[in-house]
Amino acid sequence: MRKVACIGAGMTLFRRRLQETPKEMCWEAARMALDQAGLEIGDVDAVVFGSAPDAFDGIHMKGENVLDACGGIGRPYVRVFTGGGTGVFSPIAAYWHVASGLFDCVLVVNEEKMSSCQPHPQSVFGHIWDPILDRPLKPNLVWIFAMEMNRYMTVHNVRYEDVAAVAVKNKRNAVGHPCAQLADPHITVEDVMNSEVMAWPVHRLDISPPSDGASALVVCSEEFARTHRIESPVWFAGVGWNIDTTFWTDRDLYFPEYLANAAKIAYKQARITDPRRQIDFAEPYDPFDYKELHHMEGLGLCKKGEAPRLTREGVTQRDGDLPTCPSGGLLGVGNPIAATMGIKVGELYLQLSGQAGQRQIPHEVRTGVTNAWGDLMQFSSVVVMRA
Amino acid sequence: MTFRDRTTNVDALRSWRGDVEADYIYTTGVAGERFFTELRDTGRILAAHCEACERTYLPPRMYCEKCLGPLSDWRPVRGPATVEAVTIASVDAHGNRPPEPEVWAVLRWRGIHGGLVHRLAVPPKQAKPGLKVHPVLRPAGSRVGNITDILYFAP
Ligand SMILES: [Zn+2]
Repeated sequence: MRKVACIGAGMTLFRRRLQETPKEMCWEAARMALDQAGLEIGDVDAVVFGSAPDAFDGIHMKGENVLDACGGIGRPYVRVFTGGGTGVFSPIAAYWHVASGLFDCVLVVNEEKMSSCQPHPQSVFGHIWDPILDRPLKPNLVWIFAMEMNRYMTVHNVRYEDVAAVAVKNKRNAVGHPCAQLADPHITVEDVMNSEVMAWPVHRLDISPPSDGASALVVCSEEFARTHRIESPVWFAGVGWNIDTTFWTDRDLYFPEYLANAAKIAYKQARITDPRRQIDFAEPYDPFDYKELHHMEGLGLCKKGEAPRLTREGVTQRDGDLPTCPSGGLLGVGNPIAATMGIKVGELYLQLSGQAGQRQIPHEVRTGVTNAWGDLMQFSSVVVMRA
Repeated sequence: MTFRDRTTNVDALRSWRGDVEADYIYTTGVAGERFFTELRDTGRILAAHCEACERTYLPPRMYCEKCLGPLSDWRPVRGPATVEAVTIASVDAHGNRPPEPEVWAVLRWRGIHGGLVHRLAVPPKQAKPGLKVHPVLRPAGSRVGNITDILYFAP
């Protein structure tokens, strides 16, 4: 397989509502990524598009709707979908387009316009449940997360303060992000603990906000990066993905086995045998604060049940030994499902190429890992990148 | 990268309301037909067993996900269920606040792969993982062959 680099990233503001149509958001993100790479669409051989359920935007087969804005006309163009895992999965699809030798330069665009969905994007999640077994009980999506969080906290005897500390860290980290929706330099653990209870133990501030937004990346071969005199390419060192059963009663919710399996594939390729020592920082998927802890453990960045302690001791702060979500994450920047690519793989690219500005980790970082989590809460995609 | 601030008030923008019209009829399927008929007629909760994989599935399925063989050995679950995880829901499926918070739980049975998610009829303060509970059904004759034939689980 050929070496593959990321050479440009772009993203729109993440906001509760944007005026831009899905197409217009895609175009803005794509244009920014091309500008950063110093390229034009004519340099691009193929386009990958990623988005979560059509029902958010309310446009069936939205991949076709946004095609022109992504530069897909007249090119090999494909939409990939792994639900919430798409944010890290579509860069993986771009990776295999290039690593295979089929294409030299690929543009990846991810988009979500959740505000179109009325009265709330939550209404769409009502239709992901099994129509026979679950839907007659009228479940609310937050319940799954609440029960998973409860199981995780029960098994490891985790204190709620240590979970809430993740939300505080990420919302503060987001202060340096120009696209952030919920950055708050003054938020405290008490603010999170005193926010409205949605489904105990989940409080409102434990949850990332639904957002509109798009993001884009430019991915290319080593030879393409050389001939186009790209200054600071960041390399894909390993990719992996894995899925567990859709019956969430079949899984023990305390540990994301699917993520551990996905990480194993990526680490093998990246020749990582001791993630805690060989990885300098991480962008674990954080739609909920407890999920960052869950994902740190699934990624093998610490032992099972150890992530709350690392958080409490400041190890995961931007200037700590293992910074997590230096972007501000979904909790701070926002959660336009697939478009979170911009703060996951996008943040790895910006940090590893020294372009993260105010958010730049103060010490040298050479290796980063990120994951996304999705499908029906049982899928993870993992990317390891190196400077 | 360049960024511009923009209006986030959609009412100030030209916009229109629309919907994606679609209605559906869902069948319960071959396994579901048997599971719900048994629940309605005898009040028993059936699981399906794979001899080769030594796994008993709840909800029961037509096939084994491990070996992809057909499942024909059906047996009722025995003993109480154990609460594995709980949530106390302050918002319903539509994001509204119910008059009283509702307790929901993941329920498991000994020796069974899988389990059920259902309501728990205990006060929120007593809703704890580890609790042993039994299903409480609608009276025979008023059951319709639906998951809501189980009203809730209780100690
Ligand atoms: Zn089997």
